Amino acid sequence: MAANLKNAAAIVGAAESNEIGYPEERGPKVTSLQHHIEAIKNVSDLTGIPISDIEGVFSTGWSQQIAEHLGIRPHYLDTTTVGGCSFQVHVHHALAAIHAGIIDIALVSHGQAGWSYRGAGGGGRPVAGEIDPGTEMTIPYGVFGAPSNYAHAMVRHMHSFGTTPEDFAHVSVVTRQWAMLNPRALMFSKDTNPFGGPITVEDVMEARLIAWPLTLFHCCLVTDHGGAVIVARPEIAKSLRTRPVWIAGAGESMGHQNMLEMVDFTATSASRSSAIAYEMAGLGPQDMEMAMIYDSFTITAAMTAEMLGLAPRGKGYTLWKEGHAAPGGRLPINTNGGGLSFNHSGMYGMQLLVEAYRQLSGTAEDGVHGIEGKQTNARTCVVNGTGGTLSTTGTLVLASDE
Amino acid sequence: MFAAPITRRDSGRVAYDKPIPPKGLHTQPFWDGAKEGKLMLPRCRSCNRVHWYPRLICPFCHSTDIEWIEGSGAGRIHTFAVQHRAFGGWAKEVPYVTAYIDLAEGDRMLTVLRGVDAEHPETIEIGAEVRVEFEEADEDTHIPFWRLAEAS
Repeated sequence: MAANLKNAAAIVGAAESNEIGYPEERGPKVTSLQHHIEAIKNVSDLTGIPISDIEGVFSTGWSQQIAEHLGIRPHYLDTTTVGGCSFQVHVHHALAAIHAGIIDIALVSHGQAGWSYRGAGGGGRPVAGEIDPGTEMTIPYGVFGAPSNYAHAMVRHMHSFGTTPEDFAHVSVVTRQWAMLNPRALMFSKDTNPFGGPITVEDVMEARLIAWPLTLFHCCLVTDHGGAVIVARPEIAKSLRTRPVWIAGAGESMGHQNMLEMVDFTATSASRSSAIAYEMAGLGPQDMEMAMIYDSFTITAAMTAEMLGLAPRGKGYTLWKEGHAAPGGRLPINTNGGGLSFNHSGMYGMQLLVEAYRQLSGTAEDGVHGIEGKQTNARTCVVNGTGGTLSTTGTLVLASDE
Repeated sequence: MFAAPITRRDSGRVAYDKPIPPKGLHTQPFWDGAKEGKLMLPRCRSCNRVHWYPRLICPFCHSTDIEWIEGSGAGRIHTFAVQHRAFGGWAKEVPYVTAYIDLAEGDRMLTVLRGVDAEHPETIEIGAEVRVEFEEADEDTHIPFWRLAEAS
């Protein structure tokens, strides 16, 4: 039964970009980005709502770039792209988010240079022939994909906190121990992959360099994966043959889109998304009995553990180095073997969710997806996904029935 | 006035073989300045802060009154990495150092850092002074790169 959202929110202003129609007949060509930014500025001026007060950004596929261009860091992001009705859908989603108390002020934005870039496709994003200035100023400089970017964060962490590549290597070593309890993990054993089975800090350090200080074993796998979860309202959840795992808290945030805008290279927006999720749950990091943390790289997992409050600043790696995150440890982390040793398909958030559900529902050792020792006795789990180049984060606080 | 060194290509040389960015509509003053060895930076007339990358709106105060100023070409290393895996024209340069540079005027640029030893990253110091220089990639594109400043 849906909540009654009637009058839960209102549209308080509307505006357009400065030159619409055929802008070139009156002046220079206009980009989709420019249409967005002008319309946003105009609606801000009209309503008197400062751009900095916007808490949620809803647009067709490009919300984080728009937020970054505006210099704001919303904690509700929606990029639903379902064609021409997308903006009605955005209003619907904004209504729900406001009704839920997640945000008070939502921006729904559209910019599409349909004429200026005619024939180039589009969909409310920059189209061929258009380029956003952040990308333009990044292209010349020889960074290719995630590892080449993430390495900069690890070097800054080493500088700020005196950490070493060896410290981060422990994340790989311990995560491998979990993978050795998961027959579905790529690195389960030498039989599943020539590089599988146990590894040491020395193995990690001596692996081929990808982007110093990241060696191959500091980096996640590249694999296939499919996964799905179903979310249902409590009455249904209680009526099924499967055990419910409750979504006690949820939060999201962004720090940047382009790494040029990463203010602190040793911190991500997970501090904010987790604060929101913990507050919603009425729980804190001290209440978490396990964690599923996106480990695209060792630095990602270690830094995020700090952001989630599971370790002091600069000390995230100690959870692994001291064995707390390992099988039998006080705070099991990445019990599927992680992106580092289980599976990483490009967007690993679903793998995190599947394992968190299995652990909290007591099904982590079902004979296929885990062997003895993989199932923990955790009743709470913080799940954190990281997107882009340490850019966006989503945090869930999950809890099992007592 | 400060003018950064420019590497010019004579007609007999091999063409620049690394990615050259397409020019957007909002960055022309930057590329125009680069051809003259000037590092042009956007600065908000309302709050006086320099921002990078170029914007249609100031990311700090949301004014749209933005001017271009000539930067000093001075900066410091914020963080760096050594790239051992690359593609296209950069592949034959590995290992090379990429770095984020804190501009003297504020905010940050990305670069491939010159004048450092990629084989010995422990010798590269965060906070070290760097200077901008430009390389001619094609007629319209002089790309800024940063180089470790000579110890004085």
